[in-house]
Amino acid sequence: MGKTLRKNNQLTSLFDMEEGYSLTQAVAEADRCLLCHDAPCSAACPAETDPGKFIRKLRLRNLKGAVRTIKENNILGGICAVVCPAGRLCEEKCSSTEIDRPINIGKLQRFLVEYGWQIGFNPLLKKPANGAKVAVVGSGPAGLACAAALSKEGCEVTVFESARKPGGVLRYGVPSFRLDGDFTDREIKDVAALGVKIECGSPVKGRGAVENLLKKGFKAVFVGAGLPAPYKLNIPGINLKNVTTATDFLKAARAGNREKISRLVKNKNVAIIGGGSVAMDAAGTCKALKAAKVYCIALESMRELPAYKDDWLMAVDNGIIIKPQCRVREITGKGGAAAGVKGVETVWKKPGSCLPSNAKDVPGTEFSLAAGAVIIAIGSGPDRGLAEMMPKVKLTGRGLIQVDKKTLATSAKGIYAGGDAARGPALVVDSVADGKKAAGSIIGFLKGAK
Amino acid sequence: MRDLSIEFCGVKFPTPFLLSSSPVSNTAEMIARGFEKGFGGVSYKTLGGENTKIVHPSPRMRSYDYGGKKVIGVQNVEMTTDRPLKDNINDIKWLKKNFPKHAVIGSIMGFSKNEWRDLALTVEDAGVDMIELNFSCPHMSVEGSGMKVGQAFELVREFTRIVRETLKLPILAKLTSNVTDITEPALYAKEGGADGITAINTVRGLAGVGLDDFVPSLNVYGKGAISGYSGPGIKPIGLKCVVELAKKKELGLPISGCGGAETWMDAVEYLLCGASTIQMTTGVIRYGHRVVEDMCEGLSDYMDEKGFKGVKDIVGKALPNIHETSAFDVSRQGAASYDLDRCIGCGQCHIVCQDAGGQSLGWDSKKRRPIPDDEKCYSCMICSFVCPVGDPPVITFKDIKGKKPSIAAPIR
Ligand SMILES: Cc1cc2nc3c(=O)[nH]c(=O)nc-3n(C[C@H](O)[C@H](O)[C@H](O)COP(=O)(O)OP(=O)(O)OC[C@H]3O[C@@H](n4cnc5c(N)ncnc54)[C@H](O)[C@@H]3O)c2cc1C
Ligand SMILES: Cc1cc2nc3c(=O)[nH]c(=O)nc-3n(C[C@H](O)[C@H](O)[C@H](O)COP(=O)(O)O)c2cc1C
Ligand code: SF4
Ligand code: SF4
Ligand code: SF4
Repeated sequence: MGKTLRKNNQLTSLFDMEEGYSLTQAVAEADRCLLCHDAPCSAACPAETDPGKFIRKLRLRNLKGAVRTIKENNILGGICAVVCPAGRLCEEKCSSTEIDRPINIGKLQRFLVEYGWQIGFNPLLKKPANGAKVAVVGSGPAGLACAAALSKEGCEVTVFESARKPGGVLRYGVPSFRLDGDFTDREIKDVAALGVKIECGSPVKGRGAVENLLKKGFKAVFVGAGLPAPYKLNIPGINLKNVTTATDFLKAARAGNREKISRLVKNKNVAIIGGGSVAMDAAGTCKALKAAKVYCIALESMRELPAYKDDWLMAVDNGIIIKPQCRVREITGKGGAAAGVKGVETVWKKPGSCLPSNAKDVPGTEFSLAAGAVIIAIGSGPDRGLAEMMPKVKLTGRGLIQVDKKTLATSAKGIYAGGDAARGPALVVDSVADGKKAAGSIIGFLKGAK
Repeated sequence: MRDLSIEFCGVKFPTPFLLSSSPVSNTAEMIARGFEKGFGGVSYKTLGGENTKIVHPSPRMRSYDYGGKKVIGVQNVEMTTDRPLKDNINDIKWLKKNFPKHAVIGSIMGFSKNEWRDLALTVEDAGVDMIELNFSCPHMSVEGSGMKVGQAFELVREFTRIVRETLKLPILAKLTSNVTDITEPALYAKEGGADGITAINTVRGLAGVGLDDFVPSLNVYGKGAISGYSGPGIKPIGLKCVVELAKKKELGLPISGCGGAETWMDAVEYLLCGASTIQMTTGVIRYGHRVVEDMCEGLSDYMDEKGFKGVKDIVGKALPNIHETSAFDVSRQGAASYDLDRCIGCGQCHIVCQDAGGQSLGWDSKKRRPIPDDEKCYSCMICSFVCPVGDPPVITFKDIKGKKPSIAAPIR
């Protein structure tokens, strides 16, 4: 899995994660930083990463200190550096934009974390054991961040994960050309180094399973179960062969039978329904697997596309065709398998709302596309088994876990929740923020309980 | 974080980093914030006699930039403090009361014997831990003051002696590098009773001249002057002076290093060269007190990495490796070594080798690659300065067994 410099944004394989900065490149980029007072970049990070400070430390050649600044605050600082849509977070607020362009904060952060790994420097310290056992359900970013923060405080933490490997969406969603398994493994090693036990292949399931953890000696539980259930479209042809969801498709590309997943799209046209970043990830994966034409069909206009600009630009650079303001009405089949999609162009009935119910078909713009595979990428929802797993915990109307925003406590004593399972679809960095916040509340709860 | 404390002239400093006497040590309020960030002590802005009224020129400083890099040096025309003596004394008392563990050094400069004595007594009264005698301001406009004293060695001895006779506190003599051999005035200071040396103050310089008005760029209403220059540009001079002082056997006094320190690495270099504390101004002018956070953290990590137990164990570690140039073994020769697989073909190495080096480096214009010639290479290494490829560098020095020194051929 060679890491290559990506020329012109071109994807050449599933695995070519872009190369990070070298020291020289990092120092040159840091030289551009204005070392702002009360740095706006730092105020913009949901997980309280402090770029103003770590860039200054890099600038003053305090490299270990810079690594410490990042990792003490965010155990997944390397992964966030790679997957955060920085252009909408820290970099959006960067003062350097006023001079020419923002500082490439993501790449500086990634460089520093990788530099720490390269020289074998681990700044994370653990307080003496406090005797409290805490369970974490799910090893996505929320679970990992919570587990690391609790472990640093001296708790004995066990993470229960149903999948074979830890990481959640980082492992089974985000394509490896953006974040590869080696990188994820390396950062999760930092969590394990704090003494966190991660038990993979251990689903927490069955009636009251979460609440039962409290009876098994765990003093508190954090639930970071994510959004594992992809939404389906209710249109004719949805049950044909070769129609799948982005969740299943991306998971298979990372962990399933690669031959099989490649056969699904290789040399075929693929129609992807959806215009978000996940749709773009699925589209890029199709291209890397040598699909012929790849379409992303979205209700939104280009200006309203929910995908981050970097993501759809990368898709466009790789020849993916985005069809904005279109509705797919039907998946056509042949011999029981998908053969194409039929749709129509739309306009909004009223401006300002991108809800499907606000879209109106435009007569005379009907189209049909030949497509040997169709991927639905319209989002994911919570595990429908949550209510059974924790009957005392209140869920919202959408089936998300209801939490107190300040403490992330659920309605059941000792049970906390965060990340996508509580927020709905959000970002890795939001999940990290939740994990840290919940850990803080749990520590408070444990002290009170004593 | 490691314990970064060090004893210097019998006084304990929580960290070896000091705000040097200058605008960065002008008031108790700012010094207090510096202490909180990690400075272990301060040499308070130099106090002068009450009869000398100081009015500062405006503007007071000028940055010296290099390309896109701001503030590689600063030229200033600041004099001794312009604040009333009683305000400064109040500030010093407040500092000692609120930061009893931090070291406060009273910097003074008199114009007569009586003034030196009175100033020394006044700051002692205020509770300072040490006295620093400023023999080195390079632009005081009054005869018999500042650097002029530092260059008239008998006066250095005389003024030090007066202060020595007045009080028991440790005395530092802050010297100028604007002399041929800094150890000479240092020895006079020792004779006068100094306990340590601070080196260096600013170096006389001129940051630039206006191309349209022909006035130096530190332009005080149409007039310029040669005056004190500080910052990263003077670090090699500061290090040199510290080494000379540290190596002078007859001197044997502890040294407070000063000049151009900004990063923990600069500080470690000062320590390795024989300084026990490091003072700084321009680094704070450029970045604010926060530089010291990185100095403390960096020094602590360095000590962990190298297994140094205390800061004092670093002091002077480089001295055995610093010789006269006559000690070099010139029977051994090497050349620039090229890792051409990673060359990007910019050709800068070839240009400078032809025009400023050994004229040994050829150029393959088809492949766009330099053609090294070990025989002819001078090992001046200038090609490596300009090569843009790092990590690791394309051009490094290599030893060549049995190589004869290469000398340019005569013109044909
Ligand atoms: C394809 C895709 C790409 C994305 N790209 C980005 C991006 O580039 N940048 C970004 O910031 N965000 C991105 N996101 C969003 C981001 O990944 C999520 O917001 C984030 O992963 C949520 O973290 P989490 O810890 O809440 O849940 P998840 O990452 O979903 O992790 C939940 C984990 O819990 C486990 N689990 C669930 N139930 C149980 C149980 N009962 N017992 C044991 N284990 C259980 C699951 O197996 C899973 O491992 C992307 C999302 C997707 C789907
Ligand atoms: C504006 C300015 C004013 C200074 N005033 C004094 C002073 O009053 N007394 C003194 O001993 N040194 C004075 N200095 C010299 C500094 O203390 C220090 O020795 C010198 O700047 C070199 O260190 P640096 O490179 O870290 O700035 C002054 C320097 C500057 C830039
Ligand atoms: S906002 Fe931009 S320029 Fe300012 S400190 Fe942050 S990265 Fe540097
Ligand atoms: S730095 Fe402050 S005191 Fe100096 S010129 Fe600027 S505003 Fe005035
Ligand atoms: S300076 Fe470096 S990169 Fe440029 S041609 Fe010479 S060796 Fe190659």
